[in-house]
Amino acid sequence: MNLRLTKLALAAAMGSLFSGSVLASDLVITFDDLNPDKKAAYEAAVEAFKAANPDINVTANNGDREAHKDTIRNALQNDAPDVITWYPGNRMGPFVDAGLFTDISDLWASDPNLAENFNAIKPTMSRDGKQWGVPYSFYQWGVYYRADIYDKLGLAEPKTWDELLSNCDALKEAGVTPFTIGTQYLWTAAGVFDYLNLRTNGYEVHNDLTAGKIKYTDPRIRDTFAKWEEMLDRCSFVSTHATMDWQAAIAPFANGDAAMYVMGNFSVGQYKDAGLTDDQIDFFQFPEITAGVPRAEEAPADAFFIPANAKNVENAKKFLAFVATPEVQGEWNKTIGQLPPNSAAEINTDDKFIVEGFETLSTASGLAQFYDRDAPAAMAKAGMEGFQKFMLDPSTLDEVLENLDRVQAEVY
Amino acid sequence: MTASAADLTGKFDTSSKQVGVAAAILAVCTLILVFVIDTSLVQEVLGLARAFDARVPTFFIRVAILIVALGAALYLVTGLSYYKRNKLAVTPWLFLAIGLGLFMLYVIVPIFQSISYSFTKWDGLYDINGDWTGEWVGLHNYKLLMSDPNFYTSLKNNILWLLLYMLAVPIGLFIALFLNQTVRGIRIYKSLFFFPFVISQVVVGLIFVWAYNPQFGLLSEFWSWFFCDNKVNIVGNLTRVCSVEPPSILGNEHTATYGIIAAGLWPQIAYCMILYLTGLNNVSPDQVEAGQLDGARGWKMLWHVVLPQLKPATFIAVVVTVIGALRSFDMIATMTQGGPFGSTNVLAYYMYDQAVGEGVGRYGYGSAIATVLFLIMLLYISYFLYRMYQDEKEGH
Repeated sequence: MNLRLTKLALAAAMGSLFSGSVLASDLVITFDDLNPDKKAAYEAAVEAFKAANPDINVTANNGDREAHKDTIRNALQNDAPDVITWYPGNRMGPFVDAGLFTDISDLWASDPNLAENFNAIKPTMSRDGKQWGVPYSFYQWGVYYRADIYDKLGLAEPKTWDELLSNCDALKEAGVTPFTIGTQYLWTAAGVFDYLNLRTNGYEVHNDLTAGKIKYTDPRIRDTFAKWEEMLDRCSFVSTHATMDWQAAIAPFANGDAAMYVMGNFSVGQYKDAGLTDDQIDFFQFPEITAGVPRAEEAPADAFFIPANAKNVENAKKFLAFVATPEVQGEWNKTIGQLPPNSAAEINTDDKFIVEGFETLSTASGLAQFYDRDAPAAMAKAGMEGFQKFMLDPSTLDEVLENLDRVQAEVY
Repeated sequence: MTASAADLTGKFDTSSKQVGVAAAILAVCTLILVFVIDTSLVQEVLGLARAFDARVPTFFIRVAILIVALGAALYLVTGLSYYKRNKLAVTPWLFLAIGLGLFMLYVIVPIFQSISYSFTKWDGLYDINGDWTGEWVGLHNYKLLMSDPNFYTSLKNNILWLLLYMLAVPIGLFIALFLNQTVRGIRIYKSLFFFPFVISQVVVGLIFVWAYNPQFGLLSEFWSWFFCDNKVNIVGNLTRVCSVEPPSILGNEHTATYGIIAAGLWPQIAYCMILYLTGLNNVSPDQVEAGQLDGARGWKMLWHVVLPQLKPATFIAVVVTVIGALRSFDMIATMTQGGPFGSTNVLAYYMYDQAVGEGVGRYGYGSAIATVLFLIMLLYISYFLYRMYQDEKEGH
């Protein structure tokens, strides 16, 4: 009896010691972008969340984007924050499958804003029929081109494949390399492949290929590569692309030696840093190849997830719902020059690339993430190496495709 | 028994009470260690969910407790009568214990772990309960390796590295012979030749990446003297037009590996040179003089008189060069990351690339590559140890 009393007293003492920290609710957020504008947008959103929820004690961490790709594994398994950034699509697959992310389908169902304004991106955030994260930003891909060179040669934005090819002929005649690209880090080549594939075969084939349901030696994929070969032949890329990264590839574009660049909208700032003005550069959607194929676009998204080890799940859900609101989405993406996934959010109408991007993505029939996010990482690595090999020497096509089939059989 | 031996036994004679105290300290430490390491156990027992959140302090506490525990264990062991009887045999092992323990923990155990992973398919993740998520696939990874063209490319590159890196030994020798003279300021020349070995591999890699760059590199500048003209392009900027395009050494799968090896040779030659320079100091002038009297000069002098005396230097130079060739990872990581399309991979880099690089996460496959690499190294190391053993036997 006495012993029990002592125990109770002890428990009460312990309780009073630690109850403070149990009741005062915490929220730990880990973000992964130190670029000045990205950092500012994130910090502004966190401040707004703090102001709206004074009772929550927020710890906001931020780190380098590339390092985050390595550290997230450790973070999710050991010392998990409550909210963490990661990529949707297949990139979240391994963590979802290992049970390291929290299923937030209930939030998607109960929050009217999430339920109504995120229809276009919802499939990307889903796996096994459940939703796992909330996107805060995405951006369009397409062709950025030198408007001044186009004007000088009297060219118009191509709507079809043939128009693109004849534009290329005219550019080459004038001594301009039609396309610049830097394939040193491989992924840029995947952007070109994705667009050729989306325009030749459509969204379904893209998804089936990256999901491992179609072989690389499939005739439809061979069609895509045939178009690519035509592009390499008649449009040609800068010859030294294998030793350049995507920023280095801007140099010939800025100097007027190359006229077009298949890229994502994050590159616009770099063109301007290289001395180009809004009048000199413009954007067009990658032209149609097979008539009648519904236009799907690349729109890689960045998202917040709740690790399964999170200690403050309710607060984390509050934060995700907050980030999803039209106001926060609009403000955030104005700061970083990208697009809000929330269709009710305002966009920056002063930026012509954002306006065109919004138009491009809101009218697209489907949104692809990107080859290296839709396909599992091991497949993506081999695939992109194959694309680079093919670009350097198109005669290796059969060898490349057979090797990719072999990797595909292993990875899935 | 001599007096001093009796003295020693008296000094180490520990009462059973002391042994008891040491055992108690050890038990307490072990108990605390179990609790501190397994935080979930603490949380369950005391409900202190937040007590061990600050990880850095608990780490130091753990280390401190570990040291106390080790001290107690040592005291306990030295108090045992078994120890007193076998002191001379046991003491060296006591001193070695910590080192051996760490070596086991960080070298031996991981080798076997890695070999065991090579029989599994695993993406490197543990699930939320801490359970391993891989599956046993037997020899599957090794079968895959046999049909993987990238594996053969890596293996071929490893051999290329080993063969071409050996050039550092004769080139280093000739530079050393050239610099082994007494003229004014020779120390400066020696330092300049040795300089590349002092700078980091990463910097050497970057210097060569820039030199090789087909747009603005040293090589392409040189090239444009002969083959290129500056012309005004369509928007009025100057651009370079070449009748023959400058070579893209790192962008071409046939030349990229040679480009990296050349970059790696630069510091390696300096290293071999310095080894030979010290070796040349020990060449006996008497023998050289005797050789001269017998009419040996030039190549004959080098081959029959100088080189045999440089044998120890040559042995070390070959050993460090082989090791350098196997350490090519840094150069590849800075210069090409294995590209273009995997053509500059070596086994070590390919293993890294498949297991941890860019989230590919094929830990099983990466481990299989590591195991093959380990077997190859084992062959070399066994031969090396055998040679050492033979030399020792001859020497003594």
